[in-house]
Amino acid sequence: MKPEASTDPRGPSPRRPRLRDLRHLLLFAIQRLVALLATVLVGVYLTIVVANMGGQVDELRLVQIRSEVVETVRADPAFFDMPGEERNALVERQVGLEVERLRLDQPFAVRSLDYLQRAMSLDLGRAEQMHSDRGSREVRDIITERLPATLLLFGSANLLVFFTAVFAALRLSRHYGSALDRTVIALAPSSAAPGWFYGIFLILLLAFLFPLLPAGGMVTAPPPEGRLAYAASLVRHMLLPVAAMFFSSIFVSIYAWRTFFLIHSSEDYVEMARAKGLSARRIERRYILRPALAPIITSFLLMLIGLWSGAIILEQVFNWPGLGSLLFQAIGHRDTPVIIGGVVIFAYLLAATVFALDILYALLDPRVRIKGGRR
Amino acid sequence: MRGMGLGISALLLAAVVAVALWPAGEEPAREPPRLDVEFDVPALAPQSGALLDEIVFLRETDLGRVTGLIEAGSHQLFSQGISSPTVVNRLRDSVQADMDLAFGTASELTLNPAGPILADGSLNPFALPAIREALNWLIDRRHVAEELYGGLAVPRTLPLSTAFPDYARLAEVARALELRYAHDPERARTAIDAGMGELGAERREGHWFFEGKPVRLRLLIRTEDERRRVGDYLANLLQDLGFAVERRYRTAEEASRLWIATDPAAGQWHLYTGAWISIVIQRDQADNFSFYYTPRGRAEPLWQAYRPTPEFDALAERLSRRDYRSWEERQAMMAEALALAMEDSSRVWLVDQLNASARAANVEVAADLAGGVSGSALWPYTLRYTDRLGGRMVVGLPGLLGEPWNPVAGSNWAFDRMITRATQDPMVLPDPYTGLYHPQRIARAEVTVEQGVPVEQTLDWLTVTREESIAVPADAWIDWDALHGRFITADQAHPEGLTARTRVRVHYDADLFERRWHDGSPLSPADFVLPWILDFERANESSPLFDPAHLATFEAFRRHFRGWRILSTEPLVIEIYSDQIFPDAESIVAARAPSPLPWHTLMLGILGERRGELAFSSNKADRHGVDWLSLVAGPSLPALARLLEQAGEADALPYDQALAEWLTPGEREVRFAALGAWHEAFGHFWVGSGPYRLHAVHPVAGSVVLRRFEGFRDPADRWLGLSTAPIPELVLDGPLVVAAGEAAAPTALAAEFRLAVTMEGAPYPEEDLREVSYLLFDGDGALAGRGEAEPLGEGEWRVHLDAETLAGLGSGANSLELAVTSRRVALPAFASLVFATVPSNEEVPR
Repeated sequence: MKPEASTDPRGPSPRRPRLRDLRHLLLFAIQRLVALLATVLVGVYLTIVVANMGGQVDELRLVQIRSEVVETVRADPAFFDMPGEERNALVERQVGLEVERLRLDQPFAVRSLDYLQRAMSLDLGRAEQMHSDRGSREVRDIITERLPATLLLFGSANLLVFFTAVFAALRLSRHYGSALDRTVIALAPSSAAPGWFYGIFLILLLAFLFPLLPAGGMVTAPPPEGRLAYAASLVRHMLLPVAAMFFSSIFVSIYAWRTFFLIHSSEDYVEMARAKGLSARRIERRYILRPALAPIITSFLLMLIGLWSGAIILEQVFNWPGLGSLLFQAIGHRDTPVIIGGVVIFAYLLAATVFALDILYALLDPRVRIKGGRR
Repeated sequence: MRGMGLGISALLLAAVVAVALWPAGEEPAREPPRLDVEFDVPALAPQSGALLDEIVFLRETDLGRVTGLIEAGSHQLFSQGISSPTVVNRLRDSVQADMDLAFGTASELTLNPAGPILADGSLNPFALPAIREALNWLIDRRHVAEELYGGLAVPRTLPLSTAFPDYARLAEVARALELRYAHDPERARTAIDAGMGELGAERREGHWFFEGKPVRLRLLIRTEDERRRVGDYLANLLQDLGFAVERRYRTAEEASRLWIATDPAAGQWHLYTGAWISIVIQRDQADNFSFYYTPRGRAEPLWQAYRPTPEFDALAERLSRRDYRSWEERQAMMAEALALAMEDSSRVWLVDQLNASARAANVEVAADLAGGVSGSALWPYTLRYTDRLGGRMVVGLPGLLGEPWNPVAGSNWAFDRMITRATQDPMVLPDPYTGLYHPQRIARAEVTVEQGVPVEQTLDWLTVTREESIAVPADAWIDWDALHGRFITADQAHPEGLTARTRVRVHYDADLFERRWHDGSPLSPADFVLPWILDFERANESSPLFDPAHLATFEAFRRHFRGWRILSTEPLVIEIYSDQIFPDAESIVAARAPSPLPWHTLMLGILGERRGELAFSSNKADRHGVDWLSLVAGPSLPALARLLEQAGEADALPYDQALAEWLTPGEREVRFAALGAWHEAFGHFWVGSGPYRLHAVHPVAGSVVLRRFEGFRDPADRWLGLSTAPIPELVLDGPLVVAAGEAAAPTALAAEFRLAVTMEGAPYPEEDLREVSYLLFDGDGALAGRGEAEPLGEGEWRVHLDAETLAGLGSGANSLELAVTSRRVALPAFASLVFATVPSNEEVPR
């Protein structure tokens, strides 16, 4: 007896491959999800261990707490005539309170697991040393307070760089070898200098030598009360840092995309399209941009995720109240919850993006699906 | 299509440029300082209140931009101390910028005293006091101050700050010790050679060996500042002496793990380039010996390794307890302790560092001698433009709103404190140059101390009397019954009677209760009473306001507190009893005089903490997982607004019974209504009574705005006399060669030296000078004479050395050292002149 299905004159059902694909996709998604979660878990735990130098920070903190308490007590006239022994006993009590508050009396291994468990469940908790600018000790408040400033500045700059670079690169790829193309290639090494480096020169030039723009800050102090005036002030304060970031990365970005597009434009199917006499615009859209879309989207999304970390030195140079300087302060204070808070959100965002991209690729690119199916 | 894209891009660019160049509503004036106009200070006399209309505080962390920002006119003052010679030189070179210098950071070498044989069997030379002492001769402090610190430091030899009063009071002794321990590398080498020999080490081919191994010294060098260069300099000196030196470059944290946290006997370090900061002028440094040289200083292993001589230890302990019966006895003890400290030399003091506070050339402010601008209590009363009255000033700070602001246990950050100081009006204000307190809201004070208690009075706004015994009156409040909400009086707590070592009777200004808080409500006695209740409540375990973090301070206070009472409210007179003594009567009044806090804002905090929504202190907030009370920003504000509404409607408030007597009819309603209107207008609850009110807070943008408080009616020029540091400037003149006769020679062989004491070119008033004394050293550096200079008037002083004194010098090069101490500034001034004495039969060249 032969199997019934083989006798079906209509051939195999089209639902079968779809179901199979769906099953493969689901399996693929679960595998990716588990792998990403494991990556986040390991990454966050490593951050906890590194931020605490494997627990050695406890020792540093104890010394620091003790020194601060001693100096506070010494400087306070209330303790002026207290005998040394009593004063030392009092110092011990105060140190004890702080040790208890920071849970330094618990082994680091126990605390690290607690940090990890809370981080993975996105319970960011309270900072140990820091406050938000408004005075809240909740890590969530501390981070969200700085987020808009970071998104605004780095979002503007990166979007500007991204779209300018992509469109300029497309144009240059069409005019390969032109004077403009050669100029951009020649200027590409200028991106070796970071944004803050250009920032210093721009400040010197446009804030000090020719005081046209503010040297730093986010808005005029005190901030203007009208919305339009506030926006104008904000834009004015953004011009220099955005320009610094723009100059530091635009040429190398154009160069990179241009090379990318050139590679794509020399593919056989593009040559074939040209041979068929299709218009340059059509070739550009259908034969170059479309297959290059996946890397462009990936790059774009990773750029968006990268906004989360801000830029420490650039923010310092421009006195910009962003996440970069926040993380810098947190490292300086060894405020583990804030460091973990920043890292875990970044890790989750990155994982979610990678996951979304994986699924997107799996849906769009048959090779990914098949590969997933074979597993 | 392409054209459209280009068009849109051009439009976008044009829009950005237009918006960027759109004139902002209230852009601060970017005016470079004007140097050609000087405002007439006497014209300020009829003016009242603050000298500026608005002060904007901005976060600015980059010190490298300070001069540029001042020159561009965007900032007029920076509060942070600048210790970088490069930045200071830029300031010096700028015509539009100026600066004030402050002391406060002392640099020293901390030596490991353990051993001499350490746990690893190696030799620690610094276990021997003689070798530690020799380092004083080895190091050229002048080189350290002028070269390594680029002139931003002054040499320091003793465990007393050269800018604080004790140094000036002991100037003569200090000068003699400084000369005894002046740079003398040969003497250092000899002493170290002798000491190393005593320890059993031997020198071979220029290197020290102990039990066949090189003597290795581990030098912890701090890397963040000029101490890196100091460490290298010291390492080179020690290598030249034959030691193998291991340079360990460390940051503060890395170094602290070694020098504080490890047992010195383990030998992980031998020397450490330390530094100590003081941001207020310490008028009494008697406990420095105990702190820096004995195991009583701190509990850490390093301090426990200190082995002072029994004589030094006993003296240091007595000084830390202030165990002396008279001022003269104290000074003698201090002088002896200084000499013993130098022999001990567990620490080798190097320099007192100078920090510059940058300002525009047309700005004037009273900067504290120790704390600079940020530590100055007088800055709100003296900050002004020299070329105009009023205006807006932009002040740069390295950080602001570091922690939540509340007046009970809020932010302790120096720069937050600087801002809040302008909104408050203390009862007394410390002199920025002497640390002595001046009255601000006090008309006068009477201080009574027990017989035999050494207390010195300098200023005339208070009197000091002595009594055999000071009894605490029966009706004085000494405690607080948190359960029943009532005061406990002295007779209830101590039916057998109670005495105290001091009584301070403070007579506040007659118009005190006519003054107003920023929200318009007048001050009342309840503003003095509620903070006191709160203090006791926070230390009471049965109270919902109990805060373990408050206990230490409170218990220290209870050790000496013996009661207080309000004698009258029109005017307000308060009497306080205590056992705590400060050497200055002014400091006793400052420590004892109660200060008011607006009871209505305090009440909101109390309600918030009782309901478990907010907490005054950081520690309690963390323990209970609630918000640390901030009166100016953040999640506390909606809670406070809700509490204000409820407080206004409530029939009863906490401590009603105790406060009832001190509230005027209708005061409660007036207060809450005023606070509500204030919150409505400015969006916060920070209410003070100082010359400036908090106008706006922009936490994320990093700015705070203060505006002139129109209700502050003090004369505008009241504190301007203290705007500049009255440091005496000396010019010593005299013969370079003197004929020294025999002891019985005629007086014609005497020599006369002239000293000009001036300040900004004008003669220094004689009545402001405490002492102008001289020390005479012969060619061997031995003290050959001392005495007082004679005033000649107009800032001129004369030192007359008679023939007998000159004859005692013999032939050779001598040194005359003048020490001038002022009543108006703690910093003494010194001048020296080297002159030669030749036999009387030789011709004196002209």
